[in-house]
Amino acid sequence: MAEPNPQTMQTAMIGIGEYRVGSFPMMTIGLGSCIGLTLYDPQKKIGAMVHIMLPDSGGRTDRPGKYADTAIPLLLKELDKTGSSSNRSLVAKMAGGACMFEYFGTNLNIGERNTEKVRIILKELGIKLSAEDVGGKVGRTVTFLPASGGKVSIRRADGVTSEL
Amino acid sequence: MKLSAVQADAIQELGNIGAAHAATTLSQMLSSTVSMSVPAIKAVDLSELGNHIGDESAAMVVFELQGEIPHGGFIIFYITRESAMRLTNTMLGMTDMDRAFNEMDQSALLEVGNIMVSAFLDATAELLGFIMLPSPPALSIDMAHAAMESLIAQLGEEVDEVLLFSTELICEEHKIDSDIIMLPEISTLKRITELLEAMMKST
Repeated sequence: MAEPNPQTMQTAMIGIGEYRVGSFPMMTIGLGSCIGLTLYDPQKKIGAMVHIMLPDSGGRTDRPGKYADTAIPLLLKELDKTGSSSNRSLVAKMAGGACMFEYFGTNLNIGERNTEKVRIILKELGIKLSAEDVGGKVGRTVTFLPASGGKVSIRRADGVTSEL
Repeated sequence: MKLSAVQADAIQELGNIGAAHAATTLSQMLSSTVSMSVPAIKAVDLSELGNHIGDESAAMVVFELQGEIPHGGFIIFYITRESAMRLTNTMLGMTDMDRAFNEMDQSALLEVGNIMVSAFLDATAELLGFIMLPSPPALSIDMAHAAMESLIAQLGEEVDEVLLFSTELICEEHKIDSDIIMLPEISTLKRITELLEAMMKST
């Protein structure tokens, strides 16, 4: 992963299973059942964002950002490299976990399972989940601004925006 | 799964036949000419899905592919929000574009999707002798990427790349632009390519 350059504040687009760490703006577009999770260090004004697709890796290690159980420890490790402070001072926010199609019940509700798994892992690691916008039958595009106090904005398909 | 050039050509031809039948049904429903693009096959890494399908508003009528392979992937009737409104307006005899989708619109979209996808799958079944049955449809009118990633999540933990196989159907008269997108699960894709290859050898 490239070192974040504070000079270029271009928004980093974070695709499914990807993550970034730094002070530049980050964005995940069109979250459905996936989760956009942000961790923010208020002292260092650095943050991390990941686009989680599924709750459990089942031992897979090649795409740690894709699964909740591997993504969160990975973000902590990456934040640690930047000299970030302890888990307890981090501010976590999450969005997504929707159920876009009611009919396809083959795998129960992936959005809900993702949300639940993220909550459990954050709790295990002693990270406070300070805000969330999850569930429903609605897509969300999420922007994360570590340089502006870790602000998280959410836009929905109908153009309605909100902040976490 | 990497497709060889021959396999890609064969799938493209299959798409041509399926989409042509779907286009005919759309043309009948609209009493207007519908043209179709050459089917495009794209292998897309999950991390790059956003480069192909953005967060624009679209209606998606989705069917799971069932039959010989129980969870064989998905087939989708995709239509941008504006085109969807024009389509239902044309069908329901309305003109107001600046309104929310109501139950009538939703039923109309489900019905159009149903007829087109059935025509597509009937044609491919006839050609291949491999039956893919559509599940009852599900509808999302929201961010296209949100709907698509939710479907891909259902394909399983090990999926890191998907094959998007899409054909554009356009009705110039009513300015309606839509796509039929197939998102086959790996065993469906293998079965289709095997059958196509066997067919080419026997001719």
